[in-house]
Amino acid sequence: MLKCIGILLIAATILWIEVPPLLEKKYKKELLVFAILLAIAVGLSSITLGFGKSIPTPLDLLTFVFKPLNDVIAHLLK
Amino acid sequence: MMQDVKINSYQFLILVIFFTIGTSLLTVPSVLAADAKQDAWIAAIIGTGIGLLFIWLFITIALWFPHLTIIQINEKVFGKWIGKAFSVFFVLTTLLYTSELLFYCGTFLNIHALPSTPMVVLNILMAGVVVMGVRLGLETIARSAEILIAVFFVLFLILVLFISPEIKFENIQPVFEVGTKKIVQSSLFYFVVSSVNAVILLMIFPSFINKVKQGKKSFLFGNIIGGIIIIIITFLTVSVLGPENTARQSYPSYELAKRINVGDFVQRIEGLMAALWIIALYFKTVLYFYASVLGIAQILNLKDYRPLTFPLGMFAVVLSLVIYPNVIYQQYWDGTTGNSLSLSYGLFLPLLLVVVYAIRKKTIKKKA
Repeated sequence: MLKCIGILLIAATILWIEVPPLLEKKYKKELLVFAILLAIAVGLSSITLGFGKSIPTPLDLLTFVFKPLNDVIAHLLK
Repeated sequence: MMQDVKINSYQFLILVIFFTIGTSLLTVPSVLAADAKQDAWIAAIIGTGIGLLFIWLFITIALWFPHLTIIQINEKVFGKWIGKAFSVFFVLTTLLYTSELLFYCGTFLNIHALPSTPMVVLNILMAGVVVMGVRLGLETIARSAEILIAVFFVLFLILVLFISPEIKFENIQPVFEVGTKKIVQSSLFYFVVSSVNAVILLMIFPSFINKVKQGKKSFLFGNIIGGIIIIIITFLTVSVLGPENTARQSYPSYELAKRINVGDFVQRIEGLMAALWIIALYFKTVLYFYASVLGIAQILNLKDYRPLTFPLGMFAVVLSLVIYPNVIYQQYWDGTTGNSLSLSYGLFLPLLLVVVYAIRKKTIKKKA
């Protein structure tokens, strides 16, 4: 729980630094992208660090996708 | 967009040197020695040579569009949507490599310097400096690289001079025992890490350099100088530690620094070696992170990339904790899928770009 509060505090600091200049310059699209990315980052970090749940590594997916190419390279190196 | 940022060709040369050395300095000797045994240093020479071909390919592509980054080139050559799809793949890969390097740094410090500190803290520290550098912009990064390259070369010279009495030439004999084929094959990992990944420098190379002609030379020379440093380090590790011992270590050049003993007085200066590696790794991480942040901003046509640095930095830290469950997995993944991933965005994508450009040359020229 304490870790979750810490992550939210960090997020709040980032919002406090970034949002006022963006509002001032009226960068609406930048603000939207920034908000989405921050939401993803806070969500992921509170799952892994805050609640201690493990999420599967994206590298397993990549290994699945690149299996044929891996085999070709391994064959060439033999 | 911050299009008025310009760095000169000397600063670009230094960035290329740091990018080429980056992770290779500590990890490549053991991978080379595992296959090529005592001929690992010859494999490093051949790897540098093959790497120059890739750099030549990147330069050729870059000089067709002297004012665009690779993201904009993709969009121009492949058309809007397919180009954006390739760019998303490119950006995700660079972001993945950013967190991979954060993992390298965290593990290295965790094993050798700060064993009881949790890896999260080390990764956050490194990511904090990286985010700071990218927010300050490319010019600041280039200038700090200019200062730190002096520190780097002084430390490197100290290392080479102090270790040279320990060289045993029996360790590299017999030369050419494993055969040419095996040597060329074992250099794959090295040129993938140092030269194929240099495709991300196309985010900087034509558009942010003030004199493109000289920038082209510094791209090539930077790669050669970086390659020479890796060749020297590989030669030293193999000749001092011996091929079997080098292959067994995960950080052979760190082990090398531990062997320094000049007159029983200058000993245990491996902390210097760690400093060398952290400097080079920092700039490699910064370049990857800069490429991914600027890439996302250009895909979405944003006016400024700075607001994205903090959220993506946070994301990279989380990713660096999840991607590798352990070091064994990391070593295996880097040797198999890591190569395929790098080759697909550093070789196949540029080759496809060349082919499509050759076919669509006239329509692209007409639009411009």
